[in-house]
Amino acid sequence: MKRAFIMTVGILCSLLMFSPALAASGPVVIALQGPITGPWAYEGDMAKKACETAADLINKKGGVMGGRLVEVRVFDDAGEPKQGALAATKVVGQKDIAAAVSTYGSSICEPASNIYEKFKKVNIGYGVTAVRLTKRGFKYFFRTCGRDDSQGKFFADSVPAKFKARRIAIMHDNTAFGKGLAEDTKQALAAMLAKGDVTVVYYDAITPGEKDFRVPLTKLRESKPDVWYYTGYYAEAALLLTQARDIGIVCPFVGGNAAINDEFVKIAGIDVAKGCFMTNEPLPADLPYPEAKEFLKAYKDKYGDIPSSPWPIYAADAVNIIAYAIDKTKSTDSTVLAEYLRKNVNGVPGITGPIGFTDQGDREGVPFYLYVVNDKGQIVISR
Amino acid sequence: MQVVFEQVINGLTIGSFYALIALGYSMVYGVLKLINFAHGDFFTLGSYVGYTILVWVSGLTVVHFGLWGLIVIAMFVAALAVALTGLAVERVAYRPIYPTGRLPAVVSALGASIFIQNAIMVVWGPRFQAYPSKLIPNIKFVLGGVNITLLQILILLMSFILMAVLYVVIQKTTFGAAVRASALDRETASLMGINFKKVIFFIFFLGPALGAMAGVMVGMYYRQISFTMGWNYGLKAFTATILGGIGNLPGAMFGGLILGVLEMLGAAYISAAWKDVFVFLILILVLIFRPNGLFGERVAEKV
Repeated sequence: MKRAFIMTVGILCSLLMFSPALAASGPVVIALQGPITGPWAYEGDMAKKACETAADLINKKGGVMGGRLVEVRVFDDAGEPKQGALAATKVVGQKDIAAAVSTYGSSICEPASNIYEKFKKVNIGYGVTAVRLTKRGFKYFFRTCGRDDSQGKFFADSVPAKFKARRIAIMHDNTAFGKGLAEDTKQALAAMLAKGDVTVVYYDAITPGEKDFRVPLTKLRESKPDVWYYTGYYAEAALLLTQARDIGIVCPFVGGNAAINDEFVKIAGIDVAKGCFMTNEPLPADLPYPEAKEFLKAYKDKYGDIPSSPWPIYAADAVNIIAYAIDKTKSTDSTVLAEYLRKNVNGVPGITGPIGFTDQGDREGVPFYLYVVNDKGQIVISR
Repeated sequence: MQVVFEQVINGLTIGSFYALIALGYSMVYGVLKLINFAHGDFFTLGSYVGYTILVWVSGLTVVHFGLWGLIVIAMFVAALAVALTGLAVERVAYRPIYPTGRLPAVVSALGASIFIQNAIMVVWGPRFQAYPSKLIPNIKFVLGGVNITLLQILILLMSFILMAVLYVVIQKTTFGAAVRASALDRETASLMGINFKKVIFFIFFLGPALGAMAGVMVGMYYRQISFTMGWNYGLKAFTATILGGIGNLPGAMFGGLILGVLEMLGAAYISAAWKDVFVFLILILVLIFRPNGLFGERVAEKV
């Protein structure tokens, strides 16, 4: 009995002695908030894998702050605004988390970033492109992806010319992202509309989560567009396209950057999906940077294939830039990190090219390409 | 005008899904006065079982039976599997609590619904699943400017045949008479020598089977299925049941078809975003002016 007591005390003492040392050399924790379940689970899963791969690479090179490892802790927001706020509340409640990568979907990011801002936690969006997110004067919100207005502008500059289209149909899904991109596209087309070069013959929304879109599609068909731009997500895009072909809409389909991925091709089937276009950030395989090649090799070695959509690598770059800032500032304090990211990060090499942030937290310089689904169902740059 | 016809065809197609699901609701309610909330999930389960057959074993079966044979097998197996599930659910979740009254049974039905839904998520995963794309040749008919696909025609044919068969079984056979008698008055029917247990077996076999076949058809029609879709279809089918008069089988069939067409026309000529509002408004109006539904039977209160 006495011996047991002495041993217990001894163990407790040694624990006490070691614990400060443990805290200083323990891992640096970066949270990933993403849609691990729910309708975008596929994106969430890839983001998780990408962030973990990025952390692995950093750790293999010796970690940050002279040897501390980077750990990614995953929080599920199920792709729902309400869950997004809950997940953010969980993240800010865990004191060892230095910063968060959050999240996919502008309407989920919006409530979550409110909470991060309130609790002064750096949060970097990786799949959130609605313009207004960075117009709120937030100090702790950044994004590694581009904005919808740059995508809308890209559409206006390239698509009507490519298809010699005069009648344009724009369809969105009433989500923050879909509606934002549709509005920005319309704005980018304004000059051409004023000159009468093009007309927007259809501009309306569908309800996400529905399965039957034959009614709005019939209206779209009756408007006789030369090209059809859909700015929503892939789950509806695949159904829309299949049903559109069924009811006799034959004009080219151009999706926004969330409309087309492997799942889209799988659900629509190659016969229907081939020849569909999308305006998009460069896909992982098309990135020319050495960091991209290194990252994709590591990802492929671990998971068998590279990510099929552009978003996961923005998540990985968010992890990279957080780790970079932690390493340079020797601090895990979010206020220090936010200041550093805003002022001192400029042209840091990343997987998606040089990373830098504007004063309001936007990524500087993100290019867009027009992609097309080829006969084999692969998504390739349209020449 | 062609647009109207096209929307009517589209409406009849989704209406026939509602009708097939509604039949299961109506049969169970007619006999047991129980609203079987798990019924929408039987439908989802059918859709997933059909998906598994079509995707996983297609290599084996298509060689022996051909593509059409494969579809028939998928529907048959899905119907059988879900019918057995239906019997199991009745045995486990409903039968032990019939004596406690109707409300506990409804709560138990909700529990069964959540259980089945989550079981589907665990087995098949939370992602969307996609039915194979080249199942039915993508043939389109354009009749006077109205677009109809081969698949729509097949779905309409299949559901009408199923409904006709059920109608004949219920209205023209001795066994159907037993079911109708039990629905009318269980105790008197028992006194007349009708085996009530057999009647329950029959409705819990047939109802889920019809729902499962609707599930496979929905899978083929939209090609995208998710584990949560049963709730929405269940709710619409339940509405169809009430619209037609609960417990009345032809009522459930017509209720489903009417609901589908109303939904499509409402979406086309009022607003797509408001189509559910429109549907439920009609339901409220029917309940106010014809509380027993459009084809409702007069339900005599027991004294």
